[in-house]
Amino acid sequence: MANIRELLIGFGKGKQTNITTANILAQIWRLAKLNVELANPRYVTENDAAELGKGHEFATQLFKSHIESGPHRLEKYLSSEFAAWLVAFGLGKVVKSGLGPYTYTCTPLNLPTDGLELPYFSYLEQVRPGANDVRDLMLVGCAIKGWTIEINSGPGRANAKATVEFVHSGKITEPSGITLPAATAENLLNAYSLACTINGVDYVTAKNFVSLTMGWDNAFRDTSDFYPGSGQQDGYQIRGRMEVGDRAPAFSFVARFVDGSAELQKVRDLTTGTATIQLTRDANNSLQVTWQKLGFAVAEVGETDGIVTVAVTGQPMYHETNGLLSAVVVTPVDGICQ
Amino acid sequence: MPDMVFMQPPGGGEPQEVEATPDILVPMLVAGWRQCPPPAPQEPPEEE
Repeated sequence: MANIRELLIGFGKGKQTNITTANILAQIWRLAKLNVELANPRYVTENDAAELGKGHEFATQLFKSHIESGPHRLEKYLSSEFAAWLVAFGLGKVVKSGLGPYTYTCTPLNLPTDGLELPYFSYLEQVRPGANDVRDLMLVGCAIKGWTIEINSGPGRANAKATVEFVHSGKITEPSGITLPAATAENLLNAYSLACTINGVDYVTAKNFVSLTMGWDNAFRDTSDFYPGSGQQDGYQIRGRMEVGDRAPAFSFVARFVDGSAELQKVRDLTTGTATIQLTRDANNSLQVTWQKLGFAVAEVGETDGIVTVAVTGQPMYHETNGLLSAVVVTPVDGICQ
Repeated sequence: MPDMVFMQPPGGGEPQEVEATPDILVPMLVAGWRQCPPPAPQEPPEEE
C-alpha cells in the first residue's frame, strides 16, 4: 500500500536537446503540486474484430497501436520559479539575462523563423523510488499544451494559482534512473501584490478588482505527430514531434461595477489598449504579463457576493511591433529553459 | 547598469549586443531574433 502523498514529481527546468533525449539530472528540479492525478501513458491497442475471413464478428487477436499520453495536469500555487518555467516552455521563446536573480523575457514562437515545435522537457513521477519502488518512471519528450493563471480575491496561497497541461511523446524510461534532488524552495507570488492596468484603468488602485484568468493554448496538431518514422516504445508508435496549431489566448476578469465604470462603453466603442498584470514578492521575484493589444469582446453586469460587478471577456489581439503578449519573470533560479 | 544580452537576427547573421529590457527585447523576439551566446573573442594578429 502506498499513500498518494508519497508521490514525488520532478521535471526538466532545462530543455531537452531534442524530443527523444531525456533531461539529465542536473537539469531536473523537484517541486510540489496540488492535483492528485498521475501522468499515465495509455498504451492503445487494436484488434481484428472487423476483419473478414474469421466467420464471426469477435476479436481473436490484439495488436499494438500507439501511446497516448496527455494532456497531463500540473496544478500549483503560483511562484516566481514555476511562473518562469510555465511561460518559457509554454510560449516557447525566451531570453535569459542577469547574473542572479535572473530575468526571463518570454514571447510566443514566431512561427516563420522559430518553427512549430516548443522546447521539450522530461517529467518524472516516483513513489518510494529504489529497489522496491511503487512507481518510478520518466516521461521523455513533454511539451506544454496550455497554461492558465488565476488570480482571485481571498486570503492565502490559493488566491494565485497556475495550471499547466502537457502532452508526452510516449517515450518512457522505467525505472527512471534518476534520484530526485531536494525540493526547490519556491517564492510565492500571492495576489496581495497585484498591480493591474487594463485598457487604461488601474483597477487595483480603485479597489475594484475581483478576479482574473489568463491563459494560452498551443492547440497541438495531434495526429500529424505520428508520422512515418516517428519512433516506437515497446512496439507502440510514439510521437516524433509536437507542433503548435492555431494558438488561442484567453483573458477574462471580474471587477466591481460602479458609477463611471466604462467596460460596457468600451465594448460598444471597440476600444483597445494594453493590459499589464504584475505580481511582485520582492526585487528577486516577480511576474509581469503584458497583453499588447486587448479589446473587450463581452462585458456583462452581474453580481459577486452581493456586489454589482462586471465580467469582461477580453479579446487579445496582435500588435504589429510587440506581438500578442510578453511575460517577464524575475526569479533566483538559473537555467530555466536553457 | 542594465544587463546586456546577445541577439541573433532571423536566418543567422551578425549578433548584436543589446540592453535586456522588455522594450528592446520584445520587438526583437516578435521579429524573429533569438538569444545567442557571446561571439568568441577575436585573436590578436600574430607579431612577426
